[in-house]
Formats: sequence, structure tokens, C-alpha cells
Amino acid sequence: MRGRVCGGLGAILSGSVLSFAHGGSLGIVWAVGSIDFMANAKGISVGATADRVYVCVVGRGTFQNSQPLCQYTTEMVNRGFTRFTVDIGQCTAMDSTFLGVLAGIGLRLGQKQAAGGEVSLVNVDSRQRELLTTLGLDRLFVIHPRNGQSADSVIPGEVQLQPLAESDVKPGDKDAAARVMLDAHRNLIQADDRNLPKFENLTDQLTRRVGEPPEPER
Amino acid sequence: MKPFHISNESRGPIELVRLGGGLDMHSFPQLESHLKSLFEQGHHRLVLDCRELEYIGSAGLGALIGFAKDARERRGDLKLLNVPPHIYRIIELLGFTKVLQVHHEEAKALASFQPN
Repeated sequence: MRGRVCGGLGAILSGSVLSFAHGGSLGIVWAVGSIDFMANAKGISVGATADRVYVCVVGRGTFQNSQPLCQYTTEMVNRGFTRFTVDIGQCTAMDSTFLGVLAGIGLRLGQKQAAGGEVSLVNVDSRQRELLTTLGLDRLFVIHPRNGQSADSVIPGEVQLQPLAESDVKPGDKDAAARVMLDAHRNLIQADDRNLPKFENLTDQLTRRVGEPPEPER
Repeated sequence: MKPFHISNESRGPIELVRLGGGLDMHSFPQLESHLKSLFEQGHHRLVLDCRELEYIGSAGLGALIGFAKDARERRGDLKLLNVPPHIYRIIELLGFTKVLQVHHEEAKALASFQPN
């Protein structure tokens, strides 16, 4: 079945995780923030079928939108989902926090990957591939290169994608934002220890920021 | 977003480094090699003018913290100038203002360095 281009008009609804039946498949909507119709489709949208979670990134995958993505994917792993498809065909830039959150899914799935669990990145262009390889994440993800110049989404038409809100960080959430960034970079280091020198200054500083004792010398 | 660009000029014993465009995972090696080269030339007092910086990713922030630490170990420092509000918000949010001093005026940034 040919999918659709991700990033259509959608709504962000107040509340927590909602479940609904749609077109014979189970759809799960992660709802963050206040009701707001998006004229601009940039951002991260998510949806799921009964056995697979879909994430579609339009524009940048960054620290700002990594926090809701982390919450959503953690919830879905906790619910037992083991298959994730992330469409980055329309993603113009990925920062290390965003990639660390994706790495966290792969690391959490762990042995479940041998039993059919996977994190698939689709519509990956050569520049994105190079970045994934540099960080050693090509071993953690199943990578599907982009076909030619245009990106054809593999997200099934029946999946209702809903946009995740970018973090609107309130003073009380500051620790949470730092925690997501810290965990994301620890994931990158765990995925490939060659990432340690790249990110140790950042993780050391964030470790202090969240009030943990300093990490032992490695 | 404009491509990342970097240039520097001397202000007496201090190097004023102008950053512009997007500083992401692809472009931060450019920053790294430029600052390393300044260190190798003995410049350990740096002011990074971020007026034209449009975007900074987490890897870029980590690199700045690392260079500030390296500069201090060499009896210098690295300070930020003219940080756009959307970038300052991230730096402040993450508590990085404790390690990255931010200034709004070039004269004050230059004057904030301890004399030799």
C-alpha cells in the first residue's frame, strides 16, 4: 500500500494518551498541549497501528521537539510496542538530542530486536546516513535509503498522524528538559563509545545541572 | 537557514570570533577546527559573537562548553556576545550560563577578561 506524505493538517489535543479505533486498526494518539490547528506542518507527528509506531519528522528534529518525542516513544515501548518506523524524508536537520532519543528506543528494545523488534529509519538521504554512521547508529537502526530525490512516505494511509507540540518549557520543567538531553547523549555514548569524547563535556555539565553526582572517570 | 560561517579578528589580546548561520552536527567540525587552530596559535581569550547565529544544536553547545573549559585551563576564557534570544533561552534553560558567560555589548565582553 502506498502511504502518504507525512505532515498534514492536524490538531494537538489536551490530555494524555488517547486510544481509538480507526479503520479497523488501533490508532493511538499522543496528545500534548492545548488545542491548536497547525497551518504549518513542520514538526514531529506520530501515530500507530496495532503493531507498529510511526513517527514522521518534517523540518528539524531538535532538542526542542525531542522531549515530547521521548515521552511518547517511552510510553509506546512501555505499552509493548517493539516496531518503530521513523520517516525522516522531510527532516532537514537532526541534532544529537533527537538522535539520542531515537537511539534510546533501540537500546530499550534490546533483545526484543532479535524477536522482530526494530527501529526503522526510512527515506534516509546520504547526508543523514553519513551522520548516523559517524555516531555509530547505523548498527542500531534498520536504515532504508531514500529513493531518488523525492521521499515517498511508507506510513499507511489509515494511520492518523497527530503532531507533537514543541516543548513549551515552563520553569518547573527545566530539569526535565536537561534530563532528556542528558539521557539522549548517554544513549549515544552507550550505542557507541567513540561518542564519549564528543559529548562528555555536555553530559558532565548536564549531570551537574540535574543534580546527579559527577560520573566516574572513564 | 544560511550555511554556517566563521571568521575572526583581533581585538588586542582577544580574538573576536564571528559565528553565523546554523551550527549543527554537520557544521560543528568547522567550529572545532577553527577554534583549535586559534588555540594552537596561542589565542586562548575568545569572544564568540553570535549575532548572526541562527541555530545551534546540542552538539554545538557541548563543543562550546568544551572549548570554554580548554580555554580556562590555558589561563584564558571563551565568552559569548550578542546571543539571539531563542538561543539564549536554550543556554539558560540548560543551566549553561554557569559555564558560558554571555554579554550584550562588545566593550563589556572584552573588558570582562582578567588582565595578564
